[in-house]
Amino acid sequence: MAEQLFYFLIYPGLLFAAVVGAFLSWYDRKITAWVQFRKGPPLFQPFYDFFKLLLVKETILPKHGSKGVFLAAPIFAVFGASIAGVFILLPLLGIESGFKGDIIVIFYLLTIPSLTYIIGALATGNPLAAVGGSREMKLILSYELTFILVLAGIIQKAGMSISLNEIISLQVLNGVFGGSLSGIILFIVFIFCIQAKLALVPFDAPEAETEIAGGIMIEYSGTPYAMIKLAKYIMFFILPAFLIGLLWGGLNFEGINILWSILKILFVVLLLTLIRNTNPRVKIKQAVRYFLVWMNLLAIIAIVLSYFGL
Amino acid sequence: MNEITYIICLPIFAGILLFVIPEKLKTIKGIFASAISLYALYQSILVFTGQVGIYDLSQLVGNTSISSLYANSLNDAAKYVTFNIDSLSQLIILFVNIFAFLIVIYSLFYIDKKKKVYNYYAFFLITLGTSNGAVLSNNLLLFLTFWGILGFTLYKLIKGADEESSSAAKKTLAIVGASDGIMILGIAIIWKITNTLSISELHLATNNALTITAFITLLIGSFTKAGAFPFHTWVPDYAKNAPASSSAYMPASLDKLLGIYFLARICNNIFELNQWLTLILLSIGVITIITAVMMALVQHNYKRLLGFHAVSQVGYMIVGFGLGSVIGIAAGLFHMLNNVLYKTGLFLVSGNVEKQTGKSDIDDLSGLSKTMPITFMCALIFALSISGIPPFNGFASKWMIYQGIIEFGQGTGIANQLWIVWLGLAVLGSALTLASFVKFISGLFLGRRQKEFEKVKEVNILGWLPISIMAIGCIVFGVFSTNYFVPKLFNPILGEINLIGMWNSTSVSVLVLASIVLGLIIYMIGNIKNFRSEDSYVGGGETMREDSGMATSEFYETIRNLGFLSTLYDKAEKRYFDIYNISKKIILWFSKGLQGLHTGVLTNYALWIFAGLIIMLLILL
Repeated sequence: MAEQLFYFLIYPGLLFAAVVGAFLSWYDRKITAWVQFRKGPPLFQPFYDFFKLLLVKETILPKHGSKGVFLAAPIFAVFGASIAGVFILLPLLGIESGFKGDIIVIFYLLTIPSLTYIIGALATGNPLAAVGGSREMKLILSYELTFILVLAGIIQKAGMSISLNEIISLQVLNGVFGGSLSGIILFIVFIFCIQAKLALVPFDAPEAETEIAGGIMIEYSGTPYAMIKLAKYIMFFILPAFLIGLLWGGLNFEGINILWSILKILFVVLLLTLIRNTNPRVKIKQAVRYFLVWMNLLAIIAIVLSYFGL
Repeated sequence: MNEITYIICLPIFAGILLFVIPEKLKTIKGIFASAISLYALYQSILVFTGQVGIYDLSQLVGNTSISSLYANSLNDAAKYVTFNIDSLSQLIILFVNIFAFLIVIYSLFYIDKKKKVYNYYAFFLITLGTSNGAVLSNNLLLFLTFWGILGFTLYKLIKGADEESSSAAKKTLAIVGASDGIMILGIAIIWKITNTLSISELHLATNNALTITAFITLLIGSFTKAGAFPFHTWVPDYAKNAPASSSAYMPASLDKLLGIYFLARICNNIFELNQWLTLILLSIGVITIITAVMMALVQHNYKRLLGFHAVSQVGYMIVGFGLGSVIGIAAGLFHMLNNVLYKTGLFLVSGNVEKQTGKSDIDDLSGLSKTMPITFMCALIFALSISGIPPFNGFASKWMIYQGIIEFGQGTGIANQLWIVWLGLAVLGSALTLASFVKFISGLFLGRRQKEFEKVKEVNILGWLPISIMAIGCIVFGVFSTNYFVPKLFNPILGEINLIGMWNSTSVSVLVLASIVLGLIIYMIGNIKNFRSEDSYVGGGETMREDSGMATSEFYETIRNLGFLSTLYDKAEKRYFDIYNISKKIILWFSKGLQGLHTGVLTNYALWIFAGLIIMLLILL
């Protein structure tokens, strides 16, 4: 039990994933600044943000909402992100233990943060938050099918194995899945799923600062918002890591491979950042249709291609 | 085996006795029914822990031949009255009696003078006895007798006060009754082929048209009881109009247990499925999941919303049985138990809300979480369970179903090759369930607190105790799913179950507790003491108007209006796809044709008679 608590709280769970995620978030902001010809924040800015929210800022609670639910939601967001992080990162970092989850479990755990944001937002009683919540839910509905289709394609490639450990070791033996034609298509679809899961532009309709003033996050401030930041940092690291584990053969920390592993993560995050900086926000209806029709179609094409061994 | 007599006959006779007690003594009737139900529960535990085997009438009543007439009639009856206690029926019996007891406790609180369901407790007990009988009977005719009585009590447990509810009751009786009629055909075919009606002796391969017909007729019976596409249409209407305790008792718990029990029997014991039937079962399963949950998404009445979910969850069980593998069947049965836990709970929650507020529409309610905290907590647990959020029980069984589908995909049949379709649609159904429960929870309990509901009170102990027990059941079944309950409950029925995935439900649950503690510590370290409560910010300088808010029922209008879906929704709301309305139309069309012949002119009738006579003569000669 103590071992599992260590995995969960320190390495590779909460603490490790959050620190790496915070640095990645700095990287994302720095790239964004360069794209917009700005200087960008200092390296430790994400940490300053977090601790200022946690320790200094005042917390405002919704007068007419359900305060308990409002405050409890961020706790479960952090839980969902960390536990998904543990199950993704344990195989990726090559730690052998009996504490495992297969990719279906990871798939479900990754939904928890978004769900808690929705419940927290709806507990405030703010109409703008409710608009945001309904959009987030519709976004989940649209990418969930695409996401499971991508996973199904990978399961098919891995010879019906659903263990992340086995999927990675298969790729180490026989070459990465991302190298084939179907693998490339799955990678593209996966990137858009991550984009929607993290609610980044073009799929940031739930938060939409300029339109509904933060949407699901509108009422959050101070300590609860610090926890949401924490969950977001973790998600920002583990989703790209999951992609690398499934399609790019995981990470390796021996000799020169360290550099490769870091470059893999930085490249995926760079892609996410560039997409979010070069696209306008789509309406929620457009987003639903985009996933329902085009992304699912691409995923199905990839599955058919991989069925014929391409 | 006296237990069998006690759990079947005692509730039925007690129920008949209750007819003579006047309606004014409702409380006494309720307490009497609870006592009988408690005793039946005790006896069912004895059955659960007792011996398995097949029992006939002589073992139940003994061979005390008082007169030769008595002995003779007993001998004739003994051919049909045989009971089968095996691991599966033991499990179902236990759950039937547990839920009957919890719901009768709830009824003491819920059924009051306003709910004019006459002889509620009498029919309640008769339902309990006949359900036990249906589960235990080993003879198809005896089974059908009990099964038929259940259709009738289902009809009597709904209040036929206004036009809408009496038409819902009529619809229920028509659909359930018709399906029972179809089952008789299947049983006749089985008798024709095998010359036996005892379930334990039957084992038919589905390789010719006759056995396939028999299988499909029995399947229709099971689907109608459990509420699967396309025979599900009575469930949402029943759920909307019946008292919440009736919908919790019949469509949510007993009918599910019985329908799925019968499905398990016909798929595993009586028939051996071929690959086309597997394909049909899996297709019906996913169609049930998706269509019902899509309808639930746009409902405004929360009881009707729950009714559609009672249908949609059946799809997962059918998928489980359709897979036919050990994991699949175990997953189907486990999902059945889990579904009964949370779905019954949700109906009771809806009863609590309806009773305390008098409103039945999501639009009229909001912000009840503060005034009804226990109901809210239970509702939240049920909603998370049904949506398959780990580590609750709904997740455990859905995860097992997905495992089953992936394992099934290794095969070479047609249905096996389509595994991604089954997996994708089952997962999509789960996401849609989550979406409609976000609407349910936020519409009823979250959101802005209204002045109107400031005075609403939490229900009393009879109202919250049953749902709390079920909520704890949901948590316990989820936390100890893979390492305790699945092997404990299903190994005796199916043998060793080998899961291909990994899910440490207990460890993860401990980590949930750890993270709650951690969260509290963070709040303590953080600047949480420095807080103030403010009205919502909606932009601009002014504060919000008292009545502003977003109607939760409008959440999924985008999906409702999306391209071809909007056409489908329009048609569905006009009940184009309702099997009851379709058959009603066909029957009316025929009767119109026949009415045309009824001219009332005597010579026409005489001509018909002569024509008939001539045709008969031609055939006979």
